[in-house]
Amino acid sequence: MRAGRARRLTPWVLGAMVGLGGCFPGEGVEAAAEPDAAAFDDAIALDRPASRDLGVANDQPPSPRDAQPDAAPDAGAPTVEAPYAPGAVTLQRLTRRQYANALGALFGSAARLPTDLDVDTPLHGFTTIGAAQLTVAPRAAEQYDAAALDVAHQVFTNATARVSLVGCTPTAPDDACARAYLQRFGRLAWRRPLSDAELTRWVGVSRAVHGTFRDVWAGLEYATAGLLESPNFLYRVELGSPDPARPGWLKLSGYELASRLAFVLWNAPPDDALLSAAARGALDTAAGLRVEAARLLADPRARAAVGDFFAEYFKLDRLDTISRNPQLFPLFTSTLGASMRGEIVRLIDDVVFAQDVDLRAMFDTRATYLNDDLARLYNLSSAGPGFARVELPMGGPRAGILTTAGFLALNAHAAATSPTLRGRFVRQSLLCQEILPPPPGVATNLPEPSGVPQTLRQRLEQHRSDPTCAGCHNLMDPLGFGFENFDSLGVYRTTDNGLPVDPRGEVDGIAYRNAREMAALLRRHPRVGGCIARQLYRYATAHKETDAEAAGLRALAQQFESNGFRFRALALDLVSSDGFRYASQGM
Amino acid sequence: MRIRLTRRSVLRGLFGGAAVSLALPPLEAMFDANGLAYADGPPPTRFALWFWGNGIRRAQWLPTGTGTAWQPRSETEPLATPALKPYVSPVTGFEIKTATHPHHSGMTGILTGQRYHQLGTTRDTIVSTCAGPTIDQVVAQRLWDNPMTRGRFRSLEVGVCRFTGTDEGTTFQHLSHNGPNNVNAAEYEPRRLFNRLFGAEVIGSQVAAARRSVLDAVRGDLTALSQRVSAADRMRLAQHTESIRAIELRLAAGPSLQCSTPTTPAEGYPDQMGREQIAEKNRVMSDLVAMAMACDLTRVVSILFSPCGAGTVYWMAGAQNGLHQICHDERAGGAEPQPTVHGAIRFTMEQLAYFLNRLRETQEGAQNLLDATAVLATTELSEGFTHSNDEFPVIVAGRAGGRLRGGVHARSSSRENTTNVLLTMLRAMGDPRPSFGAGPGATSTVISSLLA
Repeated sequence: MRAGRARRLTPWVLGAMVGLGGCFPGEGVEAAAEPDAAAFDDAIALDRPASRDLGVANDQPPSPRDAQPDAAPDAGAPTVEAPYAPGAVTLQRLTRRQYANALGALFGSAARLPTDLDVDTPLHGFTTIGAAQLTVAPRAAEQYDAAALDVAHQVFTNATARVSLVGCTPTAPDDACARAYLQRFGRLAWRRPLSDAELTRWVGVSRAVHGTFRDVWAGLEYATAGLLESPNFLYRVELGSPDPARPGWLKLSGYELASRLAFVLWNAPPDDALLSAAARGALDTAAGLRVEAARLLADPRARAAVGDFFAEYFKLDRLDTISRNPQLFPLFTSTLGASMRGEIVRLIDDVVFAQDVDLRAMFDTRATYLNDDLARLYNLSSAGPGFARVELPMGGPRAGILTTAGFLALNAHAAATSPTLRGRFVRQSLLCQEILPPPPGVATNLPEPSGVPQTLRQRLEQHRSDPTCAGCHNLMDPLGFGFENFDSLGVYRTTDNGLPVDPRGEVDGIAYRNAREMAALLRRHPRVGGCIARQLYRYATAHKETDAEAAGLRALAQQFESNGFRFRALALDLVSSDGFRYASQGM
Repeated sequence: MRIRLTRRSVLRGLFGGAAVSLALPPLEAMFDANGLAYADGPPPTRFALWFWGNGIRRAQWLPTGTGTAWQPRSETEPLATPALKPYVSPVTGFEIKTATHPHHSGMTGILTGQRYHQLGTTRDTIVSTCAGPTIDQVVAQRLWDNPMTRGRFRSLEVGVCRFTGTDEGTTFQHLSHNGPNNVNAAEYEPRRLFNRLFGAEVIGSQVAAARRSVLDAVRGDLTALSQRVSAADRMRLAQHTESIRAIELRLAAGPSLQCSTPTTPAEGYPDQMGREQIAEKNRVMSDLVAMAMACDLTRVVSILFSPCGAGTVYWMAGAQNGLHQICHDERAGGAEPQPTVHGAIRFTMEQLAYFLNRLRETQEGAQNLLDATAVLATTELSEGFTHSNDEFPVIVAGRAGGRLRGGVHARSSSRENTTNVLLTMLRAMGDPRPSFGAGPGATSTVISSLLA
């Protein structure tokens, strides 16, 4: 049987979706459509065989595309597209992870890394974007100061470590040994050679401190700390230079691209080889960048970095502090948050690196990684204390990232589930369609008639019968109803409030019968590939795209599709694109 | 004149119930021979901002009666004990004049007197930041610019409830802003706050000189870089440079004038059986902040009890889910339609009362710290279930060194501008500026009944 086709959306709902930014009736300026959303629908033709196992034999849902070609909220997109221009240059402060990785690359095990830095502030979903916009406020400056002094002190008060780092024994604070060290260390720390003026400044620090302590090592210790507190270390400085062939564009230098490349693909600074490639001009062409990018992607650091990207994408950091009332959730343990994170990161790694297949397999793959914590939660036989790769049961309720306990628990309340939150993540983060909250002064309570027990879904259905609420909730709730089979910790259930769960829903007009069917539909949704590419672009270029970048994003999405949605191919296309190699002048 | 004191030399913890052994008496060295007044004038006037997320229940929070005759309702009872009530002035009936969004408008309206600044060029209003500095930093800037009113730290920012908001811009993640995307992140970890305030090693002059050399060179790099970047990045680097400058000023000032070293607080306050230890964290943070203020380590503090739209689980009120969710979801029969929300707000007001009492119990000569402080306590909306921005909840507390009357219920019968509260607070801090705020949020009107 084919899955039944759901009712067409009413004109009102369609109108609301067109207005996405303002799905709420009466919204003012914000009610116009997301201006650049039109890009992807025509870019990606997607009507291929459904995935292997929908949990329902021989049941191929129709493509969302032919069922609902007009459902995407794209009307109102500008008819004349702005000419393509890359994003503006910004100073990107290292994220906390990048900072730690940079210190690790410089000192290895010679120093215990400081842990007192503030957590990053994500903007538009990513800490890289926050780090490109926020400032170093007084307390952050104190933390950087303390951390730099601490690390340098550890190394320079250790006779073995300092000789190993400096590579010679200085006899004066500004002798050839000291200068060579500061030049060499500076190049690695700042990810480019120091200018003469800069070297003079930092040799001057060495000299001044030596004058105070009469100790050459102390001079280098403080100069080293200072290099780590300099804006040239803390920020990824991108200045670029005007490109006569492309007026208004700035071409990033080889060193600037080396940093971009390494921080995207490794979440860590460039190594010596990459800096050398930059020095000899090997990164000046797109082809040259691809060569180095391929080398970086083959390195184990790339696996960690891809994990870091998806951890931000799915907001996995919040699993670090996830908490549940043990009386309501006897399966909750203090290690469960880390286990949930571990499963998702491994599942992604399996798709991207071990299998190297279509990234969208993450939505319906039955291959995953479980430990005891999770096996108990999934009611499967014990997997052992560590993670082991398992194939989830063919006819079981779970397959893919959206049915992992981590995703389900992150997108739920502490005790209650939320089809709205789960659907909102799909709508906003996987389909890149934004939804506004209701404006001030509107009653948002769910109705709760006394005496008659209801499931959460029934209460939400009533909510959606109110046209005031329907516009936005229709964009989220029907995507989330399938997950009602999983409680707020991600445990499978068949009842809610004592009544049977109804896990049916629809993805933009195509009906599904449970979470696995929903995820299989999502995999085939014409927006999903382009949305993932867009999220990676935002993360990698540390800004939210402007209208002028629409053509570049469309091209990236097309390349992603023509490469079979393989993530590493996407990464290679991204780093060799104009949007990565060039920037516009900042304001 | 200030006298340098040795650590542990002056004060002793007096309060058995305090989470850290607190040095509550004022610093003797700061006082005249009778111990009644600051040797070089009255105690400094301090400013405290206290913020909680998700609003109130009007029916149970709004006081009755106006002027000094006000009486609390259930949710405001914790603020109306005989000892505290003379210091507490509820301000009601005012509204945000720049309201377009349930959370962001209220947060930025009540803290900056203007509309939020939207980030990004798409029509996506859910990522925002403050368009200008928040009120705590407006106060801090003026005190910091004058060497005579400069604390050791320009301001302190602390957080209590674990962050459970969303990443809809800086307004949802932070309280204190110096300007757009320029935030002072709150410290949530009591041990780290303690180390920052009281745990620094006393360094010798040689180390101080070496560190100054480093910071001087860092500023050289910042200056050189500033000349090559965009205007927006130049502003970011200007803040960075100012932050470096604050470290240099502290190094130049020498060892901190310590009241005493309180006992080290516990590290972390892990959940007990899935229950966040909110009251415990509030106690230790309030104690440390009161001590930092008493010791004149800072004159401006902001306490982010819980952020906009916070999902804090008020288990002590019977909640199983986060407050934001319950505000939307809870509806029960009976006299109190949202009993759990109500319980959570009453608990929140108890935590505010703890902080205020901690200031009140800290003697400074003949007066107490609350006498010398102007406190603004507020939230980002009126009632959670409607996300309304009228009838905005505001508590003003303290006497600001005699500039605030205290104990007055100021009620507007004409939905006046909430920015009037901010201008009044600035007046209480001795700031004579004639107006504050921008756009529809701008005002030149003070709430005269609050002022002495």
